[in-house]
Amino acid sequence: MKNSVLLSTLAVAAALTLVAAHLAIWLHAPVEATMGLVQKIFYLHLPLAWWALLSFFLVFVGSVGVLVRKTPVWDALAGAAAELGVLFSGLALITGSLWARPIWNVWWTWDPRLTTALIMWFVYMGYLVLRTSPIPEVKRRTLCAVLGIVAFVDIPLVFFSTRLWRSIHPSVMSSSGGGMEPEMWQAMGGSLAAVGLLWIVLVALRVRQILSQDRLDGLWAARL
Amino acid sequence: MPRFLVLARKDLGLMLGLGLGLAQTILLGLLIIFVFSLSLPVGETMTGQAAAAIFWLASVFGLVLLFNALYHLEEANGVRLGLLLAPISPGTVFLGKALAGAALLLLAQIFFLLGLVVFLGQSLYGQWASALGLVLAVDLGLVVLGSLLGALSQGQAARESLLSVILFPLLVPLLLGGVKLGGGLLSGVGFQDESQWLTLILAFDALFAAVALILFPLVFREG
Repeated sequence: MKNSVLLSTLAVAAALTLVAAHLAIWLHAPVEATMGLVQKIFYLHLPLAWWALLSFFLVFVGSVGVLVRKTPVWDALAGAAAELGVLFSGLALITGSLWARPIWNVWWTWDPRLTTALIMWFVYMGYLVLRTSPIPEVKRRTLCAVLGIVAFVDIPLVFFSTRLWRSIHPSVMSSSGGGMEPEMWQAMGGSLAAVGLLWIVLVALRVRQILSQDRLDGLWAARL
Repeated sequence: MPRFLVLARKDLGLMLGLGLGLAQTILLGLLIIFVFSLSLPVGETMTGQAAAAIFWLASVFGLVLLFNALYHLEEANGVRLGLLLAPISPGTVFLGKALAGAALLLLAQIFFLLGLVVFLGQSLYGQWASALGLVLAVDLGLVVLGSLLGALSQGQAARESLLSVILFPLLVPLLLGGVKLGGGLLSGVGFQDESQWLTLILAFDALFAAVALILFPLVFREG
């Protein structure tokens, strides 16, 4: 009960901060001089990408938890995080592609961050395929945990290898300030927080859902 | 004889004796190389990099077929339980399978290389030692992950497609290295200032060998 109240409060907070973030994006932050309106997509693109990366880290944490503790909670956490990671990185890829078309004049180009995101999307889609495969429950948990760890270990290697290949991504974050106005930073901060809150709510809800489903399956099996 | 060698010899004997897997692997690889030769206009030769990419593509498809076949050997009649009950560690099983897989993959790759020469008009320009070194370094990473994840898809209904979907994206760093360095060799320029790629390939090998040795017992016991 207490959890439900907390989750509802968080959900309302996420909705309100999302509205506030959008007000900041469209009204507070100035229009970028060279890229124009299309640059606004950046305020969604970056939070989606960052929270997707955190999701993948959470899959790793959940997977280690499964192997150490063997409780369903860790598996549910890894599963929920993987689903959110795939969703958010997929959206980050789509928004990135929409942004790239007018700026770079291509839908897709080889770039370490782009390519890493795409490869990670493929890796974690594979993870979700394994999760939904018809495998006995206990075995499936262990196999998914192993893949969750292997996938996370692979991320830095994928990034370095794609960087060695070639790069054209704008390094907004690495240069000092990246030429962004303070208002732009504020809008970005708001958007990061809003998408983050939404992410937390969705992960928590999905974990609860997966655990409830496990319990229902258990009850149903007991009746047979 | 160390026990992993006994296991590898048993698997090799079965695979070669029964003709399981290897003939299929070579056929599929040669078909892939032949089909890609259709992308060339008459009288033109493929670039070294493209040819290297096709070589590694054939190799990873072969990897999936080989490791599925290798782990399939123990599926019938609960033989896997026998392997679990045998007084050997899961690490030994992993090494045995990886070694057998590596030997079979190398055998298949000899045919793939011939395919590159015949269908795609490639040449190694006498850089045999470098080519062998590169193939061994990349194959090490391939068989380490193949052996770990092959056990993972053991007993699944759609194991070929499952293993491909899981394995291919994970192998990207290794394949990029293989394509880059292999492309240099096939273009006749050799390894030019590519030490970073070699380091990356070796880092991949070492990292996943360690991860696989830790995680394989869990996969194999649950299997």
